[in-house]
Amino acid sequence: MTGPILLLSLSLKRARTLLVATGLLLAAFQVLLVLIASSIHPSKFEDLAALLPPFVRALLGPAVASVMSFGGIVCLGYFDLAIVAALLALIIALATLPASEVETGFADLILARPLRRHWIITRTIALVLISTLMMVALMMAGTWVGLAMLAPDDAQWPSPMMIGSLALNLGMLMLCWSSVALALAAACRRSVASATTGLLALAALLLDLTARLWPAAEPFAWLSPFRYFIPFDLVMGTALPVENILVLWAIAMSGFTVAYLLFSQRDISH
Amino acid sequence: MSKCRAGEADSFCVARLHKLGATDFRSERVRTTDAQTPAISIRGLTKQYGSLTALKDLNLEVVQGEVLGFLGLNGAGKTTAIRLLLDLLRPTSGKAFIFGHDCWTEGLAARARVGYLPGELGLYPDLTGFEVLDFLAGISRQAVDKRRRQELFDRLELPHSDLRRKLRQYSTGMKRKLGLIQAFQADPPLLILDEPTEGLDPLMQESFYVLLQDAKQKGRTVFMSSHVLSEVERVCDRIALLRKGELVLLSSMEASRQLAPRRIRVFFKQDVRVPPDLPPGHEFVETFPQTWHLNVVGPLGPLLAVLARLPVKDLEVQEARLEDVVLKYYREGAS
Repeated sequence: MTGPILLLSLSLKRARTLLVATGLLLAAFQVLLVLIASSIHPSKFEDLAALLPPFVRALLGPAVASVMSFGGIVCLGYFDLAIVAALLALIIALATLPASEVETGFADLILARPLRRHWIITRTIALVLISTLMMVALMMAGTWVGLAMLAPDDAQWPSPMMIGSLALNLGMLMLCWSSVALALAAACRRSVASATTGLLALAALLLDLTARLWPAAEPFAWLSPFRYFIPFDLVMGTALPVENILVLWAIAMSGFTVAYLLFSQRDISH
Repeated sequence: MSKCRAGEADSFCVARLHKLGATDFRSERVRTTDAQTPAISIRGLTKQYGSLTALKDLNLEVVQGEVLGFLGLNGAGKTTAIRLLLDLLRPTSGKAFIFGHDCWTEGLAARARVGYLPGELGLYPDLTGFEVLDFLAGISRQAVDKRRRQELFDRLELPHSDLRRKLRQYSTGMKRKLGLIQAFQADPPLLILDEPTEGLDPLMQESFYVLLQDAKQKGRTVFMSSHVLSEVERVCDRIALLRKGELVLLSSMEASRQLAPRRIRVFFKQDVRVPPDLPPGHEFVETFPQTWHLNVVGPLGPLLAVLARLPVKDLEVQEARLEDVVLKYYREGAS
């Protein structure tokens, strides 16, 4: 086990600056959201909702009031498009590490030693899992620190269950897309794997949004992993359905399995 | 065009070299066929990329304790063969063994006995030299003797101050030295080196040759690809020459030299007539009334018999060089 652990340690060591910096930024953003929510007078949240463009109101549906509340704004970081995009970019960068190692020739050095090929994939999955956990943990820590330090006494805090569900749903979404990136990185160049995963994610997001606004697209919406990412429902207090977690988990497991298969059969050449 | 065909490379070369009077190559073969397990055994190895055949039916054995030079032009298939041995590439057909371990089904056992220097070192620039060496030693599951490692640092002149620096500050030569150290540090029984002296200055090349000599004396086996023929001539016991993915020559160094003509210059005391014909394997390059320039393949006896009847003043014999042999094979391929 020494070899695989060394491999994981090296990858974590090399990614630590990126992970710590991103995690701290996300945590700081959560604190900032609490600060913003605290600065809004409770009676003004409804006015704020009225300022939203019609299509955003349509997208949010009955969740408008919940999202445009103290708790909703505090939780915004878990579904803000920019944050989700940044997290997906981070996870894609980490998940495509095997392709990078093959291209740079680093894989030659390590696989020419008595180390099984599958450890490259297992290491990457571990790296992605640790990074995902770290990101959502730091986000949650930022939320609770912000609430503890900045929330007004009369503000209604989002429940730990709600924050936990949002973090879990976001984490599963990250794992799902990391598996797609890893499966592609097991067979393609890093640039191809990253770009393809990014485009697939964008297409899936657009499909989900389109289906929410245009009923004709609804029959195809199940194809999008974003369909199983339901932060607006969670903010309204709905419990996270187990099926959503299972679907995202199944996609992740399928992607990881494909990655193992492809990497075990490919030629390591750069 | 003569060449060692796949599957018959050894017997062909033995026969041809025997005809030439070479004996050491045959004794090498006897060693190979002993009960001693070959360090490397390659049988019918083929690698195709679509319609392109990178390696075609390669058969080769490297006995324990020998240094085998793996030659060929760019794209001849040298690196492909090395990468197949290390299970980095998957073969289209054929088998390969390292110390009797199948390179694919028993890859871990096979690779545990190998120190490998790739042609291009893919090292992370944000790591220090020490971090790279420790990491690679760790995943090799090979014990590294600190004194041995220090000896390598000293021989290749890579001081601790350099090894504490990030690799992004390393020159090409320093990276190559680090590559050599990581390959040699665990003192593995088999060293697979892809273009080992590429990027090394002449002094470091010397140090590398000494290192190789030491490894050989300790009974280590070395399988190295190289473009530098003088280097191969100096350090290798045998050569295997690939051309367009096929093994075209496999012979001991001495026997391979006999495949190339020796250059002979004969000086006469007085003007002599050029004989109408020469023994087989003899060819005039230039003739002057008192000087002949000839190329001779094989033994010199028949020529001496001719010269015995002439007023010879002096005779100059220039040994055939490996370069002449290899270039001949390269040119045959080109033509």
